[in-house]
Amino acid sequence: MKPAPFAYAAAESLDEALALLGEAGEDAKLLAGGQSLLPLLAYRLARPSHVIDIGGVPGLDGLDRRGDGLHVGALVRHAALERSDLNGGWQALREAASLIGHLPIRVRGTFGGSLAHADPAGELGVVAAALDADIVLRSARGERTVPAGEFFIAPLTTAAEPDEVLVEARLAVPGPGFRSVFEEFSPRVGDFAYASVAAGCCVGTDGSAHDVRIALGSVGPTPIRARAAEQALSGSTLDEATIAECAQMAAGTCDPAAGDWHADATYRRALIASLAERALTRLRDAR
Amino acid sequence: MSSRCDRFIGSPVPRRKNRELLAGRATYVADIRLEGQVYARMVRSSSAHARLLGVDTSEARRVPGVIEVVTADDIGDIRIPIRLAFAESPEANQALQAPLARNVVRYVGEPVAVVVATDPYVAEDAAELVFVDLDELAPVLDTAAAGDPGQSLVHENLGSNTVNRLAFRYGDVDAAFAEADVVLQRRLRVHRLAAAPMETRGLVADYDRGSGVLTVWGGAKVKHFTRGLLSRVLGLAPSDVRVIEVEVGGGFGTRGEPYPEDILIAWLARRLERPVQWVEDRWEHMVATNHAREQEHDFELAASATGRMLGFRVRGWCDHGAYIRTQGLLPVVLPMVHLPGPYRWQAFSMDLDSVLTNRTPVGTYRGPGMTEATFVRERMVDILAAELEMDPADLRRRNLIPAESMPFTFSPGPGSSALIPISYQSGDFIESFDEMLTAAGYEELRAGQRRARARGQCAGVGMAAYIEFAAVGPFEEVEVICDGRGVVVRAGVGSLGQGVETALAQITAEMLGVDLEDVSVEFHDTAEVPQGFGAFASRSTVLAGNAIAAAVTEIRIKAAELLGCGPDDIELDHGTAVGPEGRSLPLTEVGPTRGRFEKDGLTASFGGAVCSVSVEPADGRVRVDRFLAAHDVGRAVNPRLLRGQLAGAASQGIGGALFEELAYDDNGQPLSVTFADYMMPTAAELPRVDVAVIEHGSPSNPLGIKGGGEAGMVGSLGAVVNGVADAVGADIVSSSVSPAHVWRALQARAEASTASED
Repeated sequence: MKPAPFAYAAAESLDEALALLGEAGEDAKLLAGGQSLLPLLAYRLARPSHVIDIGGVPGLDGLDRRGDGLHVGALVRHAALERSDLNGGWQALREAASLIGHLPIRVRGTFGGSLAHADPAGELGVVAAALDADIVLRSARGERTVPAGEFFIAPLTTAAEPDEVLVEARLAVPGPGFRSVFEEFSPRVGDFAYASVAAGCCVGTDGSAHDVRIALGSVGPTPIRARAAEQALSGSTLDEATIAECAQMAAGTCDPAAGDWHADATYRRALIASLAERALTRLRDAR
Repeated sequence: MSSRCDRFIGSPVPRRKNRELLAGRATYVADIRLEGQVYARMVRSSSAHARLLGVDTSEARRVPGVIEVVTADDIGDIRIPIRLAFAESPEANQALQAPLARNVVRYVGEPVAVVVATDPYVAEDAAELVFVDLDELAPVLDTAAAGDPGQSLVHENLGSNTVNRLAFRYGDVDAAFAEADVVLQRRLRVHRLAAAPMETRGLVADYDRGSGVLTVWGGAKVKHFTRGLLSRVLGLAPSDVRVIEVEVGGGFGTRGEPYPEDILIAWLARRLERPVQWVEDRWEHMVATNHAREQEHDFELAASATGRMLGFRVRGWCDHGAYIRTQGLLPVVLPMVHLPGPYRWQAFSMDLDSVLTNRTPVGTYRGPGMTEATFVRERMVDILAAELEMDPADLRRRNLIPAESMPFTFSPGPGSSALIPISYQSGDFIESFDEMLTAAGYEELRAGQRRARARGQCAGVGMAAYIEFAAVGPFEEVEVICDGRGVVVRAGVGSLGQGVETALAQITAEMLGVDLEDVSVEFHDTAEVPQGFGAFASRSTVLAGNAIAAAVTEIRIKAAELLGCGPDDIELDHGTAVGPEGRSLPLTEVGPTRGRFEKDGLTASFGGAVCSVSVEPADGRVRVDRFLAAHDVGRAVNPRLLRGQLAGAASQGIGGALFEELAYDDNGQPLSVTFADYMMPTAAELPRVDVAVIEHGSPSNPLGIKGGGEAGMVGSLGAVVNGVADAVGADIVSSSVSPAHVWRALQARAEASTASED
C-alpha cells in the first residue's frame, strides 16, 4: 500500500496546471481532493507518471448562480454542495452530495474530481446526466464544452483528453416548476451505492408531468438515462399506477451485465424500480 | 484516598491506559524506529493453487536500496507447528505451513519471497519485480465437496483434502429418531469472516551480535510460545530470544499467533544483523491473517409433537483453508464440543470433517466454533418452533438442562473419536434463560412485533441460547512483589486491549488490601516474565486472577510464619501484614512471592442473545433495532469492562450477519480485500447493545470467575438470522443476511406462495 513512484508538482494557477499537464504527457493524473485517486495509488491500481496537484489552484471553487444557470467549479467540495441552499431544480445536486461517503470524504472530495473519476456509482455524475449538465474542459489549446451525456464513456473513462482539465459544470436554469431529487441504496451509510436514481420534472396544474428526467447510477458502465420511462411519463398524470409502471420501465433500462458479488443485476434492477418509485412519488408530493 | 474497606472486585473502575490510547500517546509496533532499521515486503502468491516452478529475484535485487531477497531455498525446511497438543493429529501435522512456499502455492496471499530494503516504498517497488513462475492447478473451493474423490489435492502428501473426521456419539440416536414425531433436515452454511482488527499485524526484530539476543517487538497473545518457536527454528537458546508486547489495536484471536511472517522477520534480523520491520497492509491482512467460520452442516433434528427435542445427527465440513496453522484442528474440534449446547438431548451423533481448500487458512476468531455451532443448532431450533407453531422461547425453555441435573455430562459413546466428555459444571440454565428474556423485555418485543405487522411492516424477533467453553489451562504463574512503593504483579498473559491489566490490578488490590493505583501489572516482556500461555479462550482473568489469589495466600502464610501467628489472623493493609496484639510486618520483608493456578478442562458458561429486527421488503435491508447479550460470567471483576467486551463482541457478530463476508470467485481469487468490500458495521448500522450479566459463581476456581471476553459474539449470528427469518417468514439457512441475500429469500418466498396459489 505504498504508491509506485511518480513525479509530483503542485500548480498555483490554472495556467500552470495546464502547462504542467501538457508537459507531463498521457500518463499524468490530476489530484484535487484525493478521495479516489489516493486509494488507487496506494493499491497501485493507478500508476501515473506525474501527479499534478490542483488543490491549491484559485478560482475553481465557485458555486455561482448566473443568468445562464448554475456554475459549479471543479474544486467545490461535496460538503459545500451538501451545505448549500440549492433547491427546486437543483436540489438533486445537494441531496446527492450529502450521500457521498462519510463527512471527512465530503470535506475533501471535489465536484470535478468526482465527475472526472467517472465511477458509475458516483452520485454527482448521475445528477449531471439527469440535469444535462455541460462539462467545461480546458487545455492549453483552449476551452470546449461537452454535454454530460457524451462526457461519460466507460467506467473511469471520460471524453476529456489527457491535456484537459475539467474546470466546471454548467446547469441550465430549470424551467418553471421544475424540481429534482436523488435517491440511492447503499448497504451501509457512505458505501458506494448499489443503485441510485436522480429524477426531475415539472408537474403541471393538472398533475401531469413534463420535462421528465430520470438517470440511473451503478447499473451500467456510465450513468444511464431512462429515456423510455421519461417519454412514458411525459404528459401523464403522476398517479401511483403510472409511477409504478414508469419505475419498472426505468429498471428495464439497467445494463443486464451490471452487478457484482454483493449485488447482482437482478437485485439492482429491483432496487432501481423501488428507488425510481420513491423519487417520482417525492416529485409528485413536492408540488 | 481509598480505604482498606474498598472492594475492588466487582467495581466498574475505568480501564487503565484509556488516556494514553485516546490521546494517541501509545506505542504500536509501526511506531518503532530503531537505528539502521530496514523494511520487509512479502511477495505473495497471486494464484489460489499452482505449481511453483521458480522464483526469479534477480531484477528485484538490482533495485537501489534493496538489501536482500529471500525465497524458500534460503531458509531451509521449517514448518510452523501446532501450538496446542490436543489440536494435533498426525494428518494435521502433514499440512503445516512453511514460512515461504516451496513447489506449490495453495492460496492467494501465500508468502513466496521477502524483499528487504532501506525504505518501505522501495521494498514494495522491488517486490513487484520478483518474478514468480506459476503453473496453474485446479483450485479446491467447495467446502462440503473438498474431500470427495476426483478433487485436486491441496496437499498431495496427505492423499485427501479431508484431514480428519471427528465423531462423537451420545446415546442411541437411531432410537431417538424412531421415537420422533417430527424430523427436520437442513443444510446450513456459516460464511467466511475475518476478525479485521483496526491495527493490522506487524513486527520489528533485532539481533544483537554482541549479546546474541534476538528481540522481537509486536508479539502478542502467545509471547512465550512464540519465543520457544523462534528459539527452536533459529537455533538460539530460549533465554536469547525476547518477545516484547507493545500496544495492540485489537486481537480477537487472530493477532499474535506465530505466522509465516513472524519466522521470516526474526530470521532476517539475525541474518542481516539489522533491525527489520514489517507492517502488514490491509490488503495483505485480508489474505494473510487467519480467516474464520466457514462451515457447512447437514443437520437432522428429531422431536416429539409436543416440542421435546430428542436427538440430532449432524454431518459437517469445517474449512481449514490451505494449511493447518498454529491452532491445529480447533476449527473442527470447537464446533463439535459446542454443537449439543444447553439442551438435554437423549442422543446425538456428530461427524465433522476438517477439510482443506485453496483459501486463506482458518483459525480462531472471538467465540470460535461456538458461534458457528450456536448458529447451526439455534437456527434448527427456530425452524422446529415454526414447524410446531410454538413460541421459540417456550420450545427452548422446555428443553434446557434443568439445574437439578448439574453437573451434567455428555459422555462420548462407542464410535467416538478420542474426545473429552462435554461437561457442564454449574449453572441454572432455565433461570438464566428467563433472566435474559426479562432483561430483553421479550413479551414487549413480541407485542411490538405484532403492532409493526399490523402497520404492514416486516418485523421479527430472534434469539439464541448457548454454552461457551472457555478458560483453558494448563496453568498460569504470577509473581507478586511488594517493594515498599507499591505492588508489582508479573503475569504471563497478554493484553489485546481487553483491559486484563485493569482486572488483575483490581484482584491484587482487593486481596492485598492496597490502593488500586499502587498496583502495576507487568506482562509485556518475556525477559521479565519467564513463562505464560497467553491471551485466548477468555482465560486471562480466570487463570492469572486465581494465580494472584494463590500468591496472596502464600504471602499470608509467609507473613504468619514471621509474625508467629496463623495465616487467618493476618490482616493485609496497605503493604503491611497486621497480626494479633499489634504485631505487624511490612510486606517488603516477605519478598517476591509466586502464585500458580492450574486448571484442568474447560469452564462452561451459559448465555444467549435476543434481538428485534425490521426488514425493508423492497431492498432486503435489515435493521437490528434492539439487541441484548446475556452471559453467565461467574463473577464480574469489572462490570464496566465486561459490558464493553460483551457489547463489542455482539456488535462484531451483528456486523458479521448483516454485512461482512470474505467471498472468493470461481478461481479462488479473494473478493473482499478492502474495507469497501469487507463491510464492517459502523455506529450508524448498529443498535444500542444491552447486556445482562449473570453471576452463577464457577466451582472450577477459587474466585468463581468464568470467561467473558468473547461471549457477546456467540449468540449473535443465531439471534440475528433467527430474527430475520421470523420477520420474512423464509427458511433462511445461511448465516449471512446481507441485503441481497434477504431480498433473494423474500423473492423465493413470494414465488413459492404464487406457485402454491396456482
